[in-house]
Amino acid sequence: MPDQVQLAMPADPEFLRLARVTAMGLASRLSFTIEEIDDLRIAIDELVFGLIGTKGRPGTVAMTYELLDDGLEVKGVGNFEDGEPTVGLTELSELILDAVADEHELTTTAGSPTFRLLKRRTEV
Amino acid sequence: MAFDAERRQELRELFVTFAAARDEKVRATLIEAHIGLAEYLARRFNNRGEPLDDLIQVASTGLIKAVDRFEPERGLEFSTYATHTIVGELKRHFRDKGWAVRVPRRMQELHLRLSTLVNTLNQDLGRSPTIPEIAQAAGVSEEEVLEAMEAGQAYRFTSLDAPVGGEDGGSLGSTIGEDDDSMIDVEHRVALSPLLEKLPPRQQNIIHLRFFEGLTQSEIATRLGISQMHVSRLLARSLAQLRQDAG
Repeated sequence: MPDQVQLAMPADPEFLRLARVTAMGLASRLSFTIEEIDDLRIAIDELVFGLIGTKGRPGTVAMTYELLDDGLEVKGVGNFEDGEPTVGLTELSELILDAVADEHELTTTAGSPTFRLLKRRTEV
Repeated sequence: MAFDAERRQELRELFVTFAAARDEKVRATLIEAHIGLAEYLARRFNNRGEPLDDLIQVASTGLIKAVDRFEPERGLEFSTYATHTIVGELKRHFRDKGWAVRVPRRMQELHLRLSTLVNTLNQDLGRSPTIPEIAQAAGVSEEEVLEAMEAGQAYRFTSLDAPVGGEDGGSLGSTIGEDDDSMIDVEHRVALSPLLEKLPPRQQNIIHLRFFEGLTQSEIATRLGISQMHVSRLLARSLAQLRQDAG
Protein backbone atom coordinates (compact mmCIF):
# COMPACT_ATOMS: atom_id res chain seq x y z
CA MET A 1 0.00 0.00 0.00
CA PRO A 2 1.44 3.39 -0.93
CA ASP A 3 2.58 5.74 1.80
CA GLN A 4 -0.12 8.14 2.83
CA VAL A 5 -0.13 11.48 4.62
CA GLN A 6 -3.28 13.05 6.00
CA LEU A 7 -4.01 16.63 6.87
CA ALA A 8 -7.19 18.06 8.31
CA MET A 9 -7.54 21.82 8.12
CA PRO A 10 -10.19 24.49 8.56
CA ALA A 11 -11.99 25.31 5.31
CA ASP A 12 -10.39 28.72 5.25
CA PRO A 13 -8.00 30.10 2.58
CA GLU A 14 -5.62 31.10 5.39
CA PHE A 15 -4.77 27.42 5.82
CA LEU A 16 -4.37 26.60 2.16
CA ARG A 17 -0.66 27.16 2.48
CA LEU A 18 -0.44 24.04 4.64
CA ALA A 19 -2.05 21.96 1.90
CA ARG A 20 0.40 23.35 -0.64
CA VAL A 21 3.51 23.00 1.47
CA THR A 22 2.64 19.41 2.35
CA ALA A 23 2.20 18.59 -1.33
CA MET A 24 5.44 20.35 -2.22
CA GLY A 25 7.40 18.46 0.43
CA LEU A 26 6.03 15.12 -0.69
CA ALA A 27 6.54 15.92 -4.37
CA SER A 28 10.14 16.81 -3.62
CA ARG A 29 10.59 13.39 -2.01
CA LEU A 30 9.26 11.90 -5.22
CA SER A 31 11.85 13.84 -7.28
CA PHE A 32 9.37 16.12 -8.99
CA THR A 33 11.01 18.99 -10.84
CA ILE A 34 10.47 22.55 -9.64
CA GLU A 35 8.00 23.19 -12.47
CA GLU A 36 6.02 20.06 -11.69
CA ILE A 37 5.87 21.15 -8.07
CA ASP A 38 4.62 24.54 -9.16
CA ASP A 39 1.93 22.87 -11.26
CA LEU A 40 0.93 20.83 -8.26
CA ARG A 41 0.67 23.91 -6.12
CA ILE A 42 -1.54 25.65 -8.69
CA ALA A 43 -3.74 22.56 -8.99
CA ILE A 44 -4.23 22.30 -5.24
CA ASP A 45 -5.17 25.96 -5.03
CA GLU A 46 -7.76 25.61 -7.79
CA LEU A 47 -9.32 22.47 -6.35
CA VAL A 48 -9.42 23.56 -2.73
CA PHE A 49 -10.87 26.93 -3.72
CA GLY A 50 -13.40 25.00 -5.81
CA LEU A 51 -14.37 23.20 -2.64
CA ILE A 52 -14.38 26.04 -0.12
CA GLY A 53 -14.91 29.11 -2.31
CA THR A 54 -12.67 32.15 -2.25
CA LYS A 55 -13.78 33.25 1.19
CA GLY A 56 -13.84 29.86 2.89
CA ARG A 57 -16.75 28.38 4.79
CA PRO A 58 -17.39 26.90 8.21
CA GLY A 59 -16.09 23.38 8.48
CA THR A 60 -12.99 21.42 7.56
CA VAL A 61 -11.24 19.87 4.61
CA ALA A 62 -9.58 16.49 5.04
CA MET A 63 -6.65 16.12 2.68
CA THR A 64 -5.05 12.78 1.84
CA TYR A 65 -1.77 12.58 -0.03
CA GLU A 66 -0.78 9.26 -1.49
CA LEU A 67 2.76 8.68 -2.70
CA LEU A 68 2.57 6.56 -5.83
CA ASP A 69 5.42 5.01 -7.79
CA ASP A 70 5.12 7.58 -10.52
CA GLY A 71 3.44 10.52 -8.88
CA LEU A 72 1.32 12.00 -6.16
CA GLU A 73 -2.42 11.63 -5.70
CA VAL A 74 -4.20 14.19 -3.57
CA LYS A 75 -7.76 13.90 -2.36
CA GLY A 76 -9.78 16.44 -0.45
CA VAL A 77 -13.08 15.91 1.31
CA GLY A 78 -15.10 18.84 2.55
CA ASN A 79 -17.03 18.60 5.77
CA PHE A 80 -19.02 21.78 5.91
CA GLU A 81 -21.46 23.11 8.44
CA ASP A 82 -23.24 25.73 6.36
CA GLY A 83 -25.35 23.50 4.15
CA GLU A 84 -24.51 25.75 1.22
CA PRO A 85 -23.94 24.21 -2.21
CA THR A 86 -20.35 23.85 -3.34
CA VAL A 87 -19.65 26.16 -6.23
CA GLY A 88 -17.19 23.87 -7.98
CA LEU A 89 -14.82 24.76 -10.77
CA THR A 90 -15.14 27.62 -13.18
CA GLU A 91 -14.44 27.12 -16.85
CA LEU A 92 -11.12 28.86 -16.37
CA SER A 93 -10.25 26.61 -13.43
CA GLU A 94 -10.96 23.57 -15.57
CA LEU A 95 -8.69 24.92 -18.25
CA ILE A 96 -5.93 25.61 -15.74
CA LEU A 97 -6.26 22.17 -14.20
CA ASP A 98 -6.14 20.53 -17.62
CA ALA A 99 -2.79 22.24 -18.12
CA VAL A 100 -1.21 21.50 -14.75
CA ALA A 101 -2.65 18.15 -13.63
CA ASP A 102 -2.67 14.70 -15.21
CA GLU A 103 -6.07 13.89 -13.77
CA HIS A 104 -8.52 15.90 -11.73
CA GLU A 105 -12.14 15.85 -10.68
CA LEU A 106 -14.33 17.70 -8.26
CA THR A 107 -17.75 16.52 -7.22
CA THR A 108 -20.14 18.94 -5.61
CA THR A 109 -22.26 16.32 -3.88
CA ALA A 110 -24.23 17.92 -1.08
CA GLY A 111 -22.77 17.10 2.32
CA SER A 112 -19.47 15.65 1.15
CA PRO A 113 -18.00 17.42 -1.84
CA THR A 114 -14.66 15.95 -2.84
CA PHE A 115 -11.81 16.42 -5.22
CA ARG A 116 -9.12 14.20 -6.57
CA LEU A 117 -5.90 15.22 -8.23
CA LEU A 118 -3.17 13.16 -9.83
CA LYS A 119 0.16 14.60 -10.79
CA ARG A 120 2.72 12.34 -12.37
CA ARG A 121 6.40 13.13 -12.45
CA THR A 122 8.63 12.91 -15.45
CA GLU A 123 11.59 10.58 -15.11
CA VAL A 124 14.71 12.57 -14.35
CA MET B 1 21.57 61.92 -6.98
CA ALA B 2 23.02 65.21 -8.06
CA PHE B 3 23.49 66.78 -11.47
CA ASP B 4 25.98 69.48 -12.24
CA ALA B 5 24.60 72.96 -12.95
CA GLU B 6 24.79 72.56 -16.70
CA ARG B 7 22.94 69.25 -16.70
CA ARG B 8 20.35 70.63 -14.31
CA GLN B 9 19.69 73.51 -16.63
CA GLU B 10 19.51 71.17 -19.59
CA LEU B 11 16.91 69.06 -17.80
CA ARG B 12 14.92 72.13 -16.76
CA GLU B 13 14.73 73.11 -20.40
CA LEU B 14 13.69 69.61 -21.35
CA PHE B 15 10.87 69.77 -18.83
CA VAL B 16 9.68 73.02 -20.36
CA THR B 17 9.84 71.42 -23.81
CA PHE B 18 7.96 68.39 -22.59
CA ALA B 19 5.32 70.48 -20.83
CA ALA B 20 4.67 72.27 -24.10
CA ALA B 21 4.75 69.44 -26.63
CA ARG B 22 4.40 66.20 -24.59
CA ASP B 23 6.90 64.54 -26.88
CA GLU B 24 7.42 60.84 -26.08
CA LYS B 25 11.16 60.90 -26.73
CA VAL B 26 11.65 63.85 -24.41
CA ARG B 27 9.54 62.09 -21.83
CA ALA B 28 11.70 58.96 -22.08
CA THR B 29 14.86 61.04 -21.75
CA LEU B 30 13.52 62.74 -18.63
CA ILE B 31 12.54 59.43 -17.08
CA GLU B 32 15.88 57.85 -17.86
CA ALA B 33 17.71 60.85 -16.46
CA HIS B 34 15.97 60.48 -13.11
CA ILE B 35 15.81 56.72 -12.83
CA GLY B 36 18.63 56.88 -10.30
CA LEU B 37 16.36 58.84 -7.97
CA ALA B 38 13.67 56.15 -8.24
CA GLU B 39 16.21 53.43 -7.50
CA TYR B 40 17.66 55.36 -4.59
CA LEU B 41 14.23 55.85 -3.01
CA ALA B 42 13.28 52.21 -3.66
CA ARG B 43 16.39 51.12 -1.76
CA ARG B 44 15.33 53.21 1.20
CA PHE B 45 12.26 50.99 1.44
CA ASN B 46 14.23 47.78 1.04
CA ASN B 47 14.22 45.05 3.69
CA ARG B 48 10.59 45.54 4.51
CA GLY B 49 9.33 42.35 3.00
CA GLU B 50 9.25 43.24 -0.67
CA PRO B 51 11.83 42.27 -3.31
CA LEU B 52 13.94 45.21 -4.38
CA ASP B 53 13.16 44.69 -8.05
CA ASP B 54 9.46 45.13 -7.30
CA LEU B 55 10.16 48.28 -5.31
CA ILE B 56 12.22 49.73 -8.13
CA GLN B 57 9.34 49.00 -10.48
CA VAL B 58 6.93 50.77 -8.15
CA ALA B 59 9.29 53.71 -7.71
CA SER B 60 9.66 53.88 -11.49
CA THR B 61 5.90 54.11 -11.82
CA GLY B 62 5.99 57.00 -9.36
CA LEU B 63 8.74 58.62 -11.38
CA ILE B 64 6.75 58.35 -14.60
CA LYS B 65 3.74 59.95 -12.89
CA ALA B 66 5.98 62.72 -11.58
CA VAL B 67 7.42 63.41 -15.03
CA ASP B 68 3.94 63.49 -16.53
CA ARG B 69 2.51 65.80 -13.90
CA PHE B 70 5.43 68.12 -13.23
CA GLU B 71 4.76 71.76 -14.00
CA PRO B 72 8.13 73.49 -14.46
CA GLU B 73 6.59 76.97 -14.43
CA ARG B 74 5.84 76.59 -10.74
CA GLY B 75 9.54 76.87 -10.00
CA LEU B 76 9.85 73.76 -7.86
CA GLU B 77 12.87 71.48 -8.36
CA PHE B 78 11.80 68.30 -10.12
CA SER B 79 13.71 66.12 -7.65
CA THR B 80 11.71 67.59 -4.76
CA TYR B 81 8.43 67.06 -6.57
CA ALA B 82 9.38 63.57 -7.78
CA THR B 83 10.58 62.44 -4.36
CA HIS B 84 7.18 63.23 -2.92
CA THR B 85 5.38 61.36 -5.71
CA ILE B 86 7.70 58.34 -5.67
CA VAL B 87 7.62 57.96 -1.88
CA GLY B 88 3.82 58.23 -2.04
CA GLU B 89 3.74 55.45 -4.61
CA LEU B 90 6.01 53.25 -2.51
CA LYS B 91 3.93 53.81 0.61
CA ARG B 92 0.75 52.98 -1.27
CA HIS B 93 2.44 49.84 -2.54
CA PHE B 94 3.21 48.73 1.00
CA ARG B 95 -0.26 49.56 2.14
CA ASP B 96 -1.95 47.69 -0.71
CA LYS B 97 0.47 45.08 -1.88
CA GLY B 98 2.49 44.00 1.10
CA TRP B 99 3.38 40.42 1.78
CA ALA B 100 0.36 38.50 3.06
CA VAL B 101 2.56 36.86 5.63
CA ARG B 102 5.76 38.19 7.04
CA VAL B 103 8.54 36.62 5.03
CA PRO B 104 11.96 36.70 6.67
CA ARG B 105 14.52 38.69 4.78
CA ARG B 106 16.73 35.62 4.53
CA MET B 107 13.95 33.81 2.66
CA GLN B 108 13.31 36.73 0.33
CA GLU B 109 17.00 36.81 -0.51
CA LEU B 110 17.12 33.08 -1.03
CA HIS B 111 14.08 33.30 -3.30
CA LEU B 112 15.80 35.91 -5.43
CA ARG B 113 19.05 33.93 -5.47
CA LEU B 114 17.24 30.77 -6.51
CA SER B 115 15.70 32.56 -9.49
CA THR B 116 19.13 32.89 -11.06
CA LEU B 117 20.25 29.48 -9.94
CA VAL B 118 17.23 27.68 -11.39
CA ASN B 119 17.86 29.36 -14.73
CA THR B 120 21.46 28.17 -14.72
CA LEU B 121 20.45 24.64 -13.75
CA ASN B 122 17.77 24.64 -16.45
CA GLN B 123 20.42 25.37 -19.03
CA ASP B 124 23.01 22.99 -17.61
CA LEU B 125 20.62 20.07 -17.20
CA GLY B 126 18.48 20.75 -20.24
CA ARG B 127 15.39 20.34 -18.09
CA SER B 128 13.73 21.74 -15.02
CA PRO B 129 15.77 20.88 -11.90
CA THR B 130 14.52 18.93 -8.91
CA ILE B 131 14.50 20.37 -5.40
CA PRO B 132 17.52 18.30 -4.24
CA GLU B 133 19.49 19.56 -7.24
CA ILE B 134 18.60 23.16 -6.45
CA ALA B 135 19.37 22.69 -2.76
CA GLN B 136 22.76 21.21 -3.52
CA ALA B 137 23.68 23.96 -5.94
CA ALA B 138 22.52 26.65 -3.51
CA GLY B 139 24.16 25.05 -0.48
CA VAL B 140 20.92 25.05 1.50
CA SER B 141 18.50 22.37 2.66
CA GLU B 142 15.62 21.10 0.54
CA GLU B 143 13.21 22.51 3.12
CA GLU B 144 14.74 25.94 2.69
CA VAL B 145 14.29 25.72 -1.09
CA LEU B 146 10.63 24.79 -0.65
CA GLU B 147 10.16 27.55 1.88
CA ALA B 148 11.75 30.07 -0.47
CA MET B 149 9.50 28.91 -3.31
CA GLU B 150 6.44 29.39 -1.15
CA ALA B 151 7.77 32.73 0.10
CA GLY B 152 7.78 33.97 -3.48
CA GLN B 153 4.01 33.54 -3.61
CA ALA B 154 3.40 35.29 -0.31
CA TYR B 155 1.85 38.42 -1.68
CA ARG B 156 -1.32 40.02 -0.53
CA PHE B 157 -3.66 39.93 -3.48
CA THR B 158 -6.17 42.52 -2.42
CA SER B 159 -5.05 45.24 -4.75
CA LEU B 160 -3.20 44.10 -7.77
CA ASP B 161 -5.38 45.83 -10.26
CA ALA B 162 -3.05 48.62 -11.20
CA PRO B 163 -1.84 47.58 -14.63
CA VAL B 164 0.96 50.07 -14.71
CA GLY B 165 4.42 49.22 -15.94
CA GLY B 166 5.98 45.79 -16.30
CA GLU B 167 5.77 43.18 -13.61
CA ASP B 168 9.02 41.49 -14.39
CA GLY B 169 11.42 43.78 -12.63
CA GLY B 170 12.93 44.57 -15.99
CA SER B 171 14.61 47.86 -16.70
CA LEU B 172 12.50 50.92 -17.08
CA GLY B 173 13.96 51.43 -20.51
CA SER B 174 12.32 48.23 -21.62
CA THR B 175 8.87 49.53 -20.75
CA ILE B 176 8.98 53.19 -21.61
CA GLY B 177 6.96 53.99 -24.66
CA GLU B 178 6.14 50.33 -25.08
CA ASP B 179 2.78 49.45 -26.48
CA ASP B 180 1.61 46.88 -23.96
CA ASP B 181 -1.27 45.83 -26.17
CA SER B 182 1.20 44.44 -28.64
CA MET B 183 2.12 41.73 -26.15
CA ILE B 184 -1.00 39.85 -27.00
CA ASP B 185 -2.07 39.54 -30.56
CA VAL B 186 -5.64 40.10 -31.54
CA GLU B 187 -6.34 36.44 -32.11
CA HIS B 188 -5.28 35.57 -28.57
CA ARG B 189 -7.13 38.49 -27.07
CA VAL B 190 -10.39 37.26 -28.54
CA ALA B 191 -9.90 33.94 -26.78
CA LEU B 192 -9.43 35.53 -23.38
CA SER B 193 -12.41 35.96 -21.13
CA PRO B 194 -13.37 39.42 -19.90
CA LEU B 195 -11.99 38.37 -16.52
CA LEU B 196 -8.51 37.86 -17.94
CA GLU B 197 -8.62 41.23 -19.59
CA LYS B 198 -8.56 42.86 -16.19
CA LEU B 199 -5.01 41.62 -15.71
CA PRO B 200 -2.02 43.67 -16.79
CA PRO B 201 -1.08 42.71 -20.38
CA ARG B 202 2.09 40.88 -19.42
CA GLN B 203 0.20 38.70 -16.97
CA GLN B 204 -2.53 38.04 -19.55
CA ASN B 205 0.19 36.94 -21.89
CA ILE B 206 1.75 34.59 -19.36
CA ILE B 207 -1.61 33.06 -18.49
CA HIS B 208 -2.33 32.60 -22.16
CA LEU B 209 1.02 31.01 -22.94
CA ARG B 210 0.89 28.65 -19.96
CA PHE B 211 -2.73 27.54 -19.91
CA PHE B 212 -3.98 28.14 -23.44
CA GLU B 213 -0.83 27.41 -25.41
CA GLY B 214 0.60 24.82 -23.02
CA LEU B 215 4.09 26.28 -22.84
CA THR B 216 6.16 25.35 -19.79
CA GLN B 217 7.24 28.03 -17.34
CA SER B 218 10.81 27.75 -18.63
CA GLU B 219 9.67 28.23 -22.20
CA ILE B 220 7.68 31.29 -21.20
CA ALA B 221 10.63 32.60 -19.24
CA THR B 222 12.89 32.27 -22.27
CA ARG B 223 10.36 33.91 -24.53
CA LEU B 224 9.87 36.89 -22.21
CA GLY B 225 13.48 37.16 -21.04
CA ILE B 226 12.68 36.69 -17.35
CA SER B 227 13.41 33.89 -14.91
CA GLN B 228 11.28 30.77 -14.53
CA MET B 229 10.66 31.59 -10.89
CA HIS B 230 9.46 35.01 -11.89
CA VAL B 231 7.02 33.41 -14.29
CA SER B 232 5.90 31.21 -11.40
CA ARG B 233 5.36 34.22 -9.20
CA LEU B 234 3.45 36.12 -11.85
CA LEU B 235 1.25 33.10 -12.49
CA ALA B 236 0.46 32.83 -8.79
CA ARG B 237 -0.33 36.53 -8.62
CA SER B 238 -2.51 36.43 -11.70
CA LEU B 239 -4.50 33.43 -10.54
CA ALA B 240 -5.03 34.98 -7.13
CA GLN B 241 -6.25 38.17 -8.73
CA LEU B 242 -8.57 36.29 -11.08
CA ARG B 243 -9.95 34.43 -8.11
CA GLN B 244 -10.51 37.64 -6.25
CA ASP B 245 -12.22 39.26 -9.22
CA ALA B 246 -14.41 36.21 -9.73
CA GLY B 247 -15.30 36.00 -6.04
